Amino acid sequence: MTDLSNRKWYTGMTTQEDWWAVWLGLGFFCLGLLTLAGVDLVGWIAYPKKWVFSLPEGAVAKKIVTPDKAFYALGGKYSITAKGFYKSLGPIGSILVTYLVFTVATTIGAYFMKWNIKRYITGWTIIFFLTYLVWFIGHHAFFAATAVDLKKSKFPDMFTLSLGGGASFILALIVGLIIGNFFKGFASYLSTAAKPEWFIKTAIVFLGVKVGYLPIKAAASSAKLGKEVAGLTGELFIAGAAATVVAYLIFWPGVYLISRKIFKLPRKTAAVLGSGISICGVSAAVATGGAVRAKPVVSIMVSALVVVWAVIELIILPGFFTHVWPRTDDPLVAGAAMGMSVKTDGADAAAGELMDEFMRTKIERDTHGAVQWPEGIITVSAVMTKIWIDMFIGLWAFILALLWVYRIERRPGERVMASEVWHRFPKFVLGYFAAWFIYLAIFFGPGHAGAPEGMDVLKAATAGAVPVEKGMRKFFFMLTFMSLGIITDFKKLREAQFGKMVWVYFVALFLFIIPVAILIAYIFHHGMQIPNIAPQ
Amino acid sequence: MQEEEKKEISGTGSLTGEALEAEDVLAGAEPWDPIETKLVVWSFIAALIALIIGLLVVPTSIFFH
Repeated sequence: MTDLSNRKWYTGMTTQEDWWAVWLGLGFFCLGLLTLAGVDLVGWIAYPKKWVFSLPEGAVAKKIVTPDKAFYALGGKYSITAKGFYKSLGPIGSILVTYLVFTVATTIGAYFMKWNIKRYITGWTIIFFLTYLVWFIGHHAFFAATAVDLKKSKFPDMFTLSLGGGASFILALIVGLIIGNFFKGFASYLSTAAKPEWFIKTAIVFLGVKVGYLPIKAAASSAKLGKEVAGLTGELFIAGAAATVVAYLIFWPGVYLISRKIFKLPRKTAAVLGSGISICGVSAAVATGGAVRAKPVVSIMVSALVVVWAVIELIILPGFFTHVWPRTDDPLVAGAAMGMSVKTDGADAAAGELMDEFMRTKIERDTHGAVQWPEGIITVSAVMTKIWIDMFIGLWAFILALLWVYRIERRPGERVMASEVWHRFPKFVLGYFAAWFIYLAIFFGPGHAGAPEGMDVLKAATAGAVPVEKGMRKFFFMLTFMSLGIITDFKKLREAQFGKMVWVYFVALFLFIIPVAILIAYIFHHGMQIPNIAPQ
Repeated sequence: MQEEEKKEISGTGSLTGEALEAEDVLAGAEPWDPIETKLVVWSFIAALIALIIGLLVVPTSIFFH
């Protein structure tokens, strides 16, 4: 076991996934900021377009293109200073540059985290190209094109699944699950590089860029819309905090009660299960397990269940919230409820992203394009509650440690250090907030909140923000889906010793956590509206 | 199994090696203690207080509709 007594505040900065999400996320965020000084170092990221094998007669390659143009470097569209260069990369060139840059960046992280480098690079390379292949297939017009896409590209009426970018996420998860469940040797080999928690935490730092950039994007339509979006993200921040505090204080004792009174589990197991189902899955289970001194296998079992159930939630909830309730009437209630229901960062952010795609596509289709929502706000609402929950992990682990040491097990002479809160704090959250607040400061500072005198700065900021918040974020989401599938083994649920735990988890999650999450999300988010960005 | 590998549950696959220990952690529940009642009840009370404050303070809460 690692000796924790000599830990300093900076312990783990070069060795933990959590910190490497910060370094990776903020590293590319800083590269993006250089566009403000006229230097574009992020426009190479390869991004997909919807495609068909051949364009029908009369169609124009606008929203839907042919396979040879299915990827492009985002800088070729958004860069101010290097547009020509990034355009010249072409689809293959941009994918290769993306591969090289991320291989170097993530391998540095893998090296410091003391992973097997040779195996990491091989696994990463396979996962990278598999992810891009799936991203390509998932953007076939049959899966992804909406009625609006067809109209803009002057396509004849044809049936499509209208899943938008969500099709690629689902496909990545399916491919990952096939590998994880039917090619277990291969999945085991890839597991060194299949790191959904690392990928998603990095993606969440990129999401911070997205939240900060949303008002800048909206200001391109009008300064008024920019301020509206800035106000909305602020409201989500406050509402998310309130909802999370209330929900958490109900979730934990509720699950503890169910585990102890109905399923007759021992205290420590119930405490770890309570945290795993209520808070932030894996990290909470590990943190609580440490706090109450449960046997390591308890945290491991709960964590495994968390991962598997989170994937099941990921498959069920986005569709349920989009098509059953609350549908597009209350999209931010759905987002906030998602954040409180899905218990891993990866699955939650991914489910939020999927629902964002579903709901935007649905509202656009239902209103024949009269209502269009900016991309990412529903994802933000899902991630916001999750991030607040993440921040409570440290505090709750600390409270439980105090209770167990001083009241429940009464260990004489033992003290709990306040620094435990910092050590349990999810560090990637720092990157998320830094990225968000810096772009917000650019919007309200030199960007003059979208006034004409600030537009040059905002355009320069856009050139650096879009490749990060759109290209890199979605790519890391894709990696997350693929990796989540690869490491998920449904067989775990069938293993005998999981039987009781599976039922506790099922009952607690579907009959207690999700209904309470929906109710609390409704109390604090009902009626919040996403601005309409459809051309009037 | 190495310690690091144990912690990386998501990547390890089956837990069959832990079977006996797993049985231990699911069985042998201690009797319910009054301190647990306090923990649960006070948590619910804190939730109620947080809910009331939240309703009154958060501008988007249904209280303001």
